[in-house]
Formats: sequence, structure tokens, C-alpha cells
Amino acid sequence: MAELSSGPVPYVYVCTRMRVRKSKLIPREDYVRILNMSLPEITRFIEETEYKKEIDELAPSFQGIDLVELALSWNLAKEYQEIQKITPGVLKRFTQSYLLRWDIQNVLTILRGKAQGMSAGKIREVLVPAGELDRVFLDRLLKEDSPVRIVEALKGHSIYQILSEGLDAALEEESFARIENELYKQFYANLLSEAMSGLRGGKQFLEYIMLDIDITNIRNMFRLRMDRLQEDARSMVVQGSTFSADEFQHLISIDDQKEFIDALKAKVRLKPLIAMLDMVESEKSLREIEIELIKVQLSQMESLSKLNPFSIHPILTYLEKKKYEIFNLRAIARGKEVELPVDRIRGYVVM
Amino acid sequence: MAELDVAVQVAEASQLGMKALGAGLAVGLTGIGTGLAEMSIGSAAVGATAENKDVFGLVLLLTVIPETIVIFGLVVGLLLLF
Repeated sequence: MAELSSGPVPYVYVCTRMRVRKSKLIPREDYVRILNMSLPEITRFIEETEYKKEIDELAPSFQGIDLVELALSWNLAKEYQEIQKITPGVLKRFTQSYLLRWDIQNVLTILRGKAQGMSAGKIREVLVPAGELDRVFLDRLLKEDSPVRIVEALKGHSIYQILSEGLDAALEEESFARIENELYKQFYANLLSEAMSGLRGGKQFLEYIMLDIDITNIRNMFRLRMDRLQEDARSMVVQGSTFSADEFQHLISIDDQKEFIDALKAKVRLKPLIAMLDMVESEKSLREIEIELIKVQLSQMESLSKLNPFSIHPILTYLEKKKYEIFNLRAIARGKEVELPVDRIRGYVVM
Repeated sequence: MAELDVAVQVAEASQLGMKALGAGLAVGLTGIGTGLAEMSIGSAAVGATAENKDVFGLVLLLTVIPETIVIFGLVVGLLLLF
């Protein structure tokens, strides 16, 4: 009832805060500068921005790439936790549901890290405790050695059932791809049912989810086509938006790239996406296509947040943009660490 | 003659009452209008200040702009009464 009685005021408050935060994100011009910096210079640069607190806190114990990675992860988690605290009513519920994807990512990172014999400290650096599973719980999972015990510790959590059902097969195949696919399908199904449950603002949330599902499906199509997958891919489609399982299978089975792009263009309605697909007709690498898709998604989210200025959109737009800022900085820092040429690193940055 | 005096007095009194009512409505309704306008601006201003304290002066100015509406109402009310 709180969100009904308090009117639009909390929405205006939190959406304005998100807009101010978005304006503080690193602009394109700065990325061009950062790309030409060394790792210590990058550390110093981000220390002068919103990451000062984390860098100062971690600098006595870490250095180099470890310091940057950990500071970025801590900052992202802190930012997401803070946003959950300030969002009101239904928006909080939607934001929390959206952030549950980090639980999937964190648990899979731990399982994959353990399977590859990585140290707990190294895995911890890339965990972002932004969902239901907090830092303490994730540390508990990190202390477990066997994947079975890690999954058992998640009993009662929404992802437990899929994990426990698919773990044996995943360990046998030495790949968590199928589990990951199932978890994301469940995640999107939950988001869709929540958005369609009649809650106020659900329509706007649904618009975002459908956009996200479309972009995910299109990205998967490009990946599967690049892999020249012969088997049936119907089980890999995330349902609930433009593409049905049969259409997905039909599209990825088209041999000719131009024909595939034309069929895809006939199916999607989003103008920026069609323009992007026009561009992709000329030969592009999978990485370039994925970056272009992210750009389309972000620009579409930006448009939606302008159309619905006091809704879930400004919050989600900020959360996504912040996520990509972290990804960008991490990509640049890692690239510098292994001394990749600037042009190569630029290919991984969403600007 | 006495009846006419009473009628004039009643008319004058009701005219004064109507003026007072009009003035009250002018101030009251514009006050509500100002409140509604300031509701959104105020919450946005608090949000912006929470993120960046430097904008406090600017957002304070923006928040009080709808005060002009109630000032117009007050002026109309005063003109009605005096």
C-alpha cells in the first residue's frame, strides 16, 4: 500500500538520483584517454572518480590488476546495494528481481572457478554480491571444495532445484553451459510473471524484459551460427518475447549470412536494431556484433527511460550503464596487464 | 424606507462576504496548485542534492518558482479585499 498512498514523489526522487549518478559515469572522451594510460595511471585515474573509497580501502592489501579488479567489483556491489535501499515499493521489488541475475553469475563463477582449480581469493575478485546472496554467504560457498556441497548450501534458494538437477551431468560434461542456460530461462520466466502480475509499473518493466530477451536471443543466434551448431537448439531459446523456439531454430539453421540477417530484420521491429543488422551484413566478428548489440540495448533503454521518466526504466538504465562501465574498465585494465595493443582493447569496450 | 435600508445593508454585507470568499478561494486554490507543483520539483531537488551537494542553491531556486502562483493568488485576494 505504501507505493499507492505516497504518490509519484518517491519515484521522482529515486529517478532523479539515478539520472545524477548516470551523469557521473565515465564519458566516451575519458575512455579514449584511459586506453592510452598504463595500469598505475588507470588506477590513479579511477581513484579520482567514484572509485576513490574502494581504491583507498584496498590499496594497503592489493596492487596492480588485483587492486583494480577488486575495487571495481566492490564498487559495483556497493552501488547495487545502495540502489536497493533507496528505491521505493514496487520499484524495489522489480530492481531486486532484476539483480537476481548476479546470484546466477556468482554461483556459476564459483562452480567454474572451483572446477578449474582457481584459488578462493582469485574467484572472490570477480564476484559481485548484488543479488540475494551477500558477501558473507558467497565467502561460505568459496570455502566449500566440492561442487555438490556448494549446491547443497544453496538449498532454499530459487536456483537450487535447477542446480541440483543438472549438476551431475555438468560435472560429467565438464561444462556448466546447460545449467546456465536453464537458470537464465527460469530467471526470465520469473521476471515475466512478476511484470505481468498486475503490479503498478509492471508494463514498463515488461518492455525492458522483452528487450533484454530479444537481445539475448539474437546474441545466442549469432554465437550458435558461429559455432556451426548442428544439434537442435530449441532448448536454448529464452521464450516470452519476439522469437518462438521454432523461429529460433529456423533462423540459426539458415546457412547464408545475408539471408539470415534479412530473416531476422523481418522479424524484429526495433529501428536501431534493424539499423545495426544492416551494418552487420558486412563481415564483422562475433565480438564486434555483441558490442553493437549492447549499444543498441543501451540506447533503447535510454529512449525508454526518456519516454517513462518516473518508472523502473531510469533505474535499470543506470544499473546497466554502470555494469558496462565496470566491464570496460576491467577490460582495459586486463588488456594493459597482458600488454595487448590499444586497438585490440578498444574492441572490447562499450563506448 | 427602513425596509430599503435593511435591504441595502444586507446587499453590502453579502457583497463583502462574497469578496472574502473569493479572496479565500484565490489564496487557497493557488496554494494547492503551488503545493502540487512543488511536490515533484521538491522531491527531484532533494534527490539531486543527495547526489551532488553543489546543486543545492540552484534546486532551491527551482523549487520556489511555483511560489509565484500563490503570490498571484494573494495579490488577487488583497485586490478583492481592499
